[in-house]
Amino acid sequence: MFSLKPPRPSFRSYLLPPAQTDDNINSQPKIKKLEPVLLPGEIVVNEVNFVRKCIATDTSQYDLWGKLICSNFKISFITDDPMPLQKFHYRNLLLGEHDVPLTCVEQIVTVNDHKRKQKVLGPNQKLKFNPTELIIYCKDFRIVRFRFDESGPESAKKVCLAIAHYSQPTDLQLLFAFEYVGKKYHNSANKINGVSSEGGGRGGIGAGSGTTSQKTPLFETYSDWDREIKRTGASGWRVCSINEGYMISTCLPEYFVVPSSLADQDLKSFSHSFVGRRMPLWCWNHSNGSALVRMALIKDVLQQRRIDQRICNAITKSHPQRNDVYKLDLEKTLPNIQEIQAAFVKLKQLCVNEPFEETEEKWLSSLENTRWLEYVRAFLKHSAEVVYMLESKHLSVVLQEEEGRDLSCLVASLVQVMLDAYFRTITGFQSLIQKEWVMAGYQFLDRCNHLKKSEKESPLFLLFLDATWQLLEQYPAAFEFSETYLTVLYDSTRISLFGTFLFNSPHQRVKQSTEFAISKNIQLGDEKGLKFPSVWDWSLQFTAKDRTLFHNPFYVGKSMPCVQNGSVKSFKRTKKSYSSTLRGMPSSLKNGVIGDQELPPRRNSPILKHKPDPLQHTDSHNSDMEQYFREWFSKPADLHGVILPCLSGAHIKLWKLCYFRWVPEAQIHLGGSITAFHKLSLLVDEVDTLSRMLRQQRSSPLEACYAELDQSRMYFRAQGPHSTSGTPEFLSSSFPFSPVGNLCRRSILGTPLSKFLSGAKIWISTETLANED
Amino acid sequence: MASASTKYNSHSLENESIKRTSRDGLNRDLSETVPRLPGETLITDKEVIYICPFNGPIKGRVYITNYRLYLRSLETDSALILDVPLGVISRIEKMGGATSRGENSYGLDITCKDMRNLRFALKQEGHSRRDMFETLTRHAFPLAHSLPLFAFLNEEKFHVDGWTVYNPVEEYRRQGLPNHHWRITFINKCYELCDTYPALLVVPYRASDEDLRRVAIFRSRNRIPVLSWIHPENKTVIMRCSQPLVGMSGKRNKDDEKYLDLIRETNRQISKLTIYDARPSVNAVANKATGGGYESDDAYHNAELSFLDIHNIHVMRESLKKVKDIVYPNVEESHWLSSLESTHWLEHIKLVLTGAIQVADKVSSGKSSVLVHCSDGWDRTAQLTSLAMLMLDSFYRSIEGFEILVQKEWISFGHKFGSRIGHGDKNHADADRSPIFLQFIDCVWQMSKQFPTAFEFNERFLIAILDHLYSCRFGTFLFNCESARERQKVPERTVSLWSMINSNKDKFKNPFYTKEINRVLYPVASMRHLELWVNYYIRWNPRIKQQQPNPVEQRYMELLALRDDYIKRLEELQLANSAKLSDPPTSPSQMMPHVQTHF
Repeated sequence: MFSLKPPRPSFRSYLLPPAQTDDNINSQPKIKKLEPVLLPGEIVVNEVNFVRKCIATDTSQYDLWGKLICSNFKISFITDDPMPLQKFHYRNLLLGEHDVPLTCVEQIVTVNDHKRKQKVLGPNQKLKFNPTELIIYCKDFRIVRFRFDESGPESAKKVCLAIAHYSQPTDLQLLFAFEYVGKKYHNSANKINGVSSEGGGRGGIGAGSGTTSQKTPLFETYSDWDREIKRTGASGWRVCSINEGYMISTCLPEYFVVPSSLADQDLKSFSHSFVGRRMPLWCWNHSNGSALVRMALIKDVLQQRRIDQRICNAITKSHPQRNDVYKLDLEKTLPNIQEIQAAFVKLKQLCVNEPFEETEEKWLSSLENTRWLEYVRAFLKHSAEVVYMLESKHLSVVLQEEEGRDLSCLVASLVQVMLDAYFRTITGFQSLIQKEWVMAGYQFLDRCNHLKKSEKESPLFLLFLDATWQLLEQYPAAFEFSETYLTVLYDSTRISLFGTFLFNSPHQRVKQSTEFAISKNIQLGDEKGLKFPSVWDWSLQFTAKDRTLFHNPFYVGKSMPCVQNGSVKSFKRTKKSYSSTLRGMPSSLKNGVIGDQELPPRRNSPILKHKPDPLQHTDSHNSDMEQYFREWFSKPADLHGVILPCLSGAHIKLWKLCYFRWVPEAQIHLGGSITAFHKLSLLVDEVDTLSRMLRQQRSSPLEACYAELDQSRMYFRAQGPHSTSGTPEFLSSSFPFSPVGNLCRRSILGTPLSKFLSGAKIWISTETLANED
Repeated sequence: MASASTKYNSHSLENESIKRTSRDGLNRDLSETVPRLPGETLITDKEVIYICPFNGPIKGRVYITNYRLYLRSLETDSALILDVPLGVISRIEKMGGATSRGENSYGLDITCKDMRNLRFALKQEGHSRRDMFETLTRHAFPLAHSLPLFAFLNEEKFHVDGWTVYNPVEEYRRQGLPNHHWRITFINKCYELCDTYPALLVVPYRASDEDLRRVAIFRSRNRIPVLSWIHPENKTVIMRCSQPLVGMSGKRNKDDEKYLDLIRETNRQISKLTIYDARPSVNAVANKATGGGYESDDAYHNAELSFLDIHNIHVMRESLKKVKDIVYPNVEESHWLSSLESTHWLEHIKLVLTGAIQVADKVSSGKSSVLVHCSDGWDRTAQLTSLAMLMLDSFYRSIEGFEILVQKEWISFGHKFGSRIGHGDKNHADADRSPIFLQFIDCVWQMSKQFPTAFEFNERFLIAILDHLYSCRFGTFLFNCESARERQKVPERTVSLWSMINSNKDKFKNPFYTKEINRVLYPVASMRHLELWVNYYIRWNPRIKQQQPNPVEQRYMELLALRDDYIKRLEELQLANSAKLSDPPTSPSQMMPHVQTHF
């Protein structure tokens, strides 16, 4: 392990009263002593002093003075000034509160007020004016603004150019993670296993006793897959090793699961016919025997039918009841990655770039026009249909997509979140991301656009987190994790230190890091490539205390008994009416209804038959599905069983914490759902403590171990400083994030910057810049 | 509708529920009786087909009493029950004629005030609907038939008396009134100064009753500026009144000008009195034509007037109609957000909240006292003062505090509930009807969404208030003003809604409530946070209705029970252990000092 950054002196724990400091603008000499905190392998590329970080759009009153630094990992602003108006800050151990990782940079804009010029900076570019202002648009929706009125014009310009250059690397090996991990290997050359922090991630969130620090399975090994087969009770499926050493496909994992009836030899011969040689991959098994499988298209037209038949037969054979296979072509029914990206750009434009007041009047229709929520809904709806096939029809489902590594990741994971309560725990969710995204070859490098080749960018992973959030919002007691966890997970895709979200495939990691190791003289020994830190090792980013915010106090774990009217029961969701899952049904069904307005179709008898007419074959499938959803919604949901999304317009909501957390105008001070979260956390903590005391009393009443009482899985503690008073002062709807200094739109002279950045223009301009290289 | 052809067996609504019943359906009619309140009498019953917009036609028997319409399904596979107070009915229409063709084309179509319609089909033979139509019309619109409203027949008894909840003298005393700047006047004891104001008024100490009479001449319907709320520390106040009678000629009234100055002078440090005219400025100007208007700069040197751009009752009524169009019976699906936007309902909510925030901010910051008016000062004015008071004074966020707020700012100050709701009145198209109070409750709900721990009451409380706003079961919302209620002896002859609520408080409590004193709540009045109140406006749709009870609330209640259980078991264990070891017992509360403290 490497040492973590010591706390910055300006950091104030919420436990302590804010340090009253008289330091202000006058204490400029101090700035010269400000030093950046660097990670191993991190070097300062350029820096400039006497920089002002803008805090508010309309006044410079709160601006902070400090030094702006560009390193090979981050943009860092170092100041002695305390953050104004801010009472609490959730701290990332890798980053200071003003820092932006280079991979989080979306766009860099330099401005010269006097010459009324502005320029979007690409790499290796010239800047013909001295910037008076630098605006950094971040991928995590922040907008950070610096002014250079008092700084040396040349150094300011150099820093801007350095930031532009280093945030837009042309090669994967230029990403900081390589430098970092290389340094780690050098530093620990005498250790056997290089960086110990890999191996992936204890589910390292829980500090408390209740939560086990389970290890997240990474699915890099044969045994992880084998365990998953056993966990789901799949029979007729086996782990296949033909891709060891990536001999068959460079975009498949080394181990994956296939129908037992298919021999390695068959698979090898079939593999050539699949796009990317991506054979069918088993994802999950229902206890009724039906399996979820994902598969690329068969490009070989002549062989198509034969191979398809063989595969389907094999999947059928793996089903205990020999049930049929249901194939779902995702590309025909879902938005494509470009459409999703376009929606995301619009959403972001609307949420943070556009002036707040101007967008108020048409907010709802503008939100609709982004189509983001429509897409979230589409994925939830299709996933729910797959759930129906697996759960109710007992059919195995094959998700088909060109390469099977984009939409398939999303649908496969959503289906499993809905069907399997294990994936609603923290460890389970993380293993799901390993299984269906990282190992299945989701192209994080391209989709996150770490190398700024914009045409491949698409926020599918965020869309997955958003869809998961919708489920969490609808079934708050069904998930072990909180929305803070989901938000932080999204942010983590923007830190180029973890290997998890850095590559297009596991093979790419091995290949690139082996090359890098050779060039840096790092001895790899038996290892396949360098071992990068895993994002699942949350202790790298957050203290144990801060990690407790990942825990959802509403969660009802399996072990958690509930008392109602004095008797202990297991928790069940109460009766809940049927939601409009069917509203998005295929149009064939809608048309099947005679006259679709207020009056239902007239029948010969007012007493309707429940069973669909067996002759009406076209509609029977859909009405069966309708019936399934209706019945499901009419019963109390078992939170440890299947959960299905409500899909009406009123149910699919905007994920405010993620998209509004930096927007000062949208912040509800001392309000938001966090206040109820806080209140419940106190109670959960108290119940936990009581339950521990009870256990101790039972086991060894004489030596009640009080040490254990200090542990808690809750961030807000019953015995903490807030328990007696009401809502703590630092809570707001943005908690644990703070808009202060993180979203500083520019009220610009002449053309509003928002116009300049609007919509697709971002992408055109970035491309134009790229062409100038 | 995607699924009109199939039927749902289970859907549960507040007043309408379908129970799965394992009992033999054949005997049900005879064995089960219609629920009846004391004083409620059955008038008629009839076999009908209820045309449920969600489940299709359902054969049932309808029972009509002098209070409700009750329908029970006669079908074995569904046990639908409709239970609708007649007060909710806004309009009854006959559909189809004796010769109409087609299934279920002959019957009644009932429009309700609570966002739904009911449709019944009857047999065409022998004018079968006539009796039902006449009974319903008679008892849903008793005013037109010289019948009493059901509230006067209701003989329910509760162990608490809701009529005693609000006592103006006590409430003003709670606010620290009278003090040496403000006095309570009984000038309106017999409603002679202003017949739509309460008997008791708080006015500047230095204004004599004679002054008040002279001011009354210059204010629309004599609704003079009186105190609604005073800040406990900085002593700035919220005043309410109606518009000044300026007229086309720009009349002035020295007494009114002087009176406003007296209000300002109760805070020595303040140089200007802030006047919020709730209307859009265009409307305020237009009101001059009918003798009204607003305070001009030249006449009122020491006042600063701003308009809050809130539209009138007609605009609000039309807006709510549009909301109904997109939610009932089918929820607009493909363009939900833009349809919602086109109703402008949330935009109106936003303007009302924004106005109230401005009032609250002025007063809370001590910058200035505030005078609020619109035209008559009983619609928008009531919304603004009561919402601002809710933001400023945590007392009003408790259940009883909220009842007092409604009783004071709405009921006693003459919000015309009778006209706005049209209790027992058949004239459904009356231009006086408007959902102003509903809009206020919606604003309160929006606040409770943004501050989930700040209110003692839950959503059920707000919905119960709205349900009984129409039901005519209680006297609380009947008539237009205090003088009329006094003439009708409403408190003596009817039951108060608060009697029912306060004798069953647990049902209406928000488990997350954290009592806080002196915390001003500023909601964010932004479209980004305002939501359509789905659990109210779309509650009849079984597919939309959200989880009841709220799973989060339920989880909290379960944990509370678990905690109590643990504490009990721990105490038992400790007792047992200490008895065994004859050690001095330690109670869990001693070990965990916080256990008993914060709940």
